[in-house]
Amino acid sequence: MERVLLVYEKILRKIGLEKFGNLIEIIRINDGPVNSLKKLTYYDDLKKGTLVGTDEFGNRYYNNNYYFFGRNRWVEYADHVGFNYDGSQVPPEWYGWLHYKTDYLPENDPTRPNYPWVLKPSENLTGTKAAYMCYSTTKPKIVVWTPQSKQKA
Amino acid sequence: MTTSLLMSKTRGIFKLRSSISFGYMYSVRQGGTYYFVKSYNAVPSPKELQDDLVRSFFFFDIIRGGLSSLSYLFREPVTINYPFEKGPLSPRFRGEHALRRYPSGEERCIACKLCEAICPAQAITIEAEERADGSRRTTRYDIDMTKCIYCGFCQEACPVDAIVEGPNFEYSTENREELLYNKEKLLNNGDKWEPEIAANIHADHLYR
Repeated sequence: MERVLLVYEKILRKIGLEKFGNLIEIIRINDGPVNSLKKLTYYDDLKKGTLVGTDEFGNRYYNNNYYFFGRNRWVEYADHVGFNYDGSQVPPEWYGWLHYKTDYLPENDPTRPNYPWVLKPSENLTGTKAAYMCYSTTKPKIVVWTPQSKQKA
Repeated sequence: MTTSLLMSKTRGIFKLRSSISFGYMYSVRQGGTYYFVKSYNAVPSPKELQDDLVRSFFFFDIIRGGLSSLSYLFREPVTINYPFEKGPLSPRFRGEHALRRYPSGEERCIACKLCEAICPAQAITIEAEERADGSRRTTRYDIDMTKCIYCGFCQEACPVDAIVEGPNFEYSTENREELLYNKEKLLNNGDKWEPEIAANIHADHLYR
């Protein structure tokens, strides 16, 4: 399949249909037409890029400067989340790179400390049972009076 | 490429016809007399004019408009595909609040209440007590995120860099109660986001 697509791509480029050649190349890089359709359904877009890293949750990070600034870095969320992907599933270590704050990849960034007490990142848990609900962190300042009535004979 | 080719062809046809027919149409009134802006040479008959109008309005223009729209299908979109691609953020971005710790793991906040005093929305509530080891610490540090206007005065006021507005903006909730943050939640945020917060502070260290 891949070889057939490569031939098509070369023919299209030869006869001057550059854009269609690019399309075939993107389909070829994304493992054929079936997988390309699958990716198009999940990620709403089909792109070619180099895999620059993977985080602890299995999210894959890609880069391709052929696309303009703002579209040249992207994440493909882990396969097991399916359609339940969310922006908050990107952990803090990749956050800076994905938001163009730094050009360093997390493992190369010298300004990023790693203290032993740093917690494992979690996604936005709203709507689940683990969601945060507010509570008081102090002792109550008043004691509620509970009336104690005598048993009537 | 094929669409642009088609467009250029149709444009040629359209131009040819319009140059014949619409040449005489435009005039300007100045001080009681009319001046023709374009040449007066070829005046079409009413029938020709009608034919041309019908063709240009109902046929050529629509096709050209359609092709123009079609060409955008093949261009790179100018929008970003949000949860997968994200827009650029500044290290100074003021998002969700967090209480930081020292590298040793000791919490930074000393309950000086400067943030509570400066907060223009009065979103911060602090209560302090002496801890068992004699140090002054907060027992209550509540931020009402529904009141907060994200002005960043609290992090400017803080003498120990304890309260910061972190980079996170993806904390939308289903309930209002989830946005009434207490000390545990804020410290939790700090513990999760410390690598990113520290990197942001370092990125800005020359300007502070």
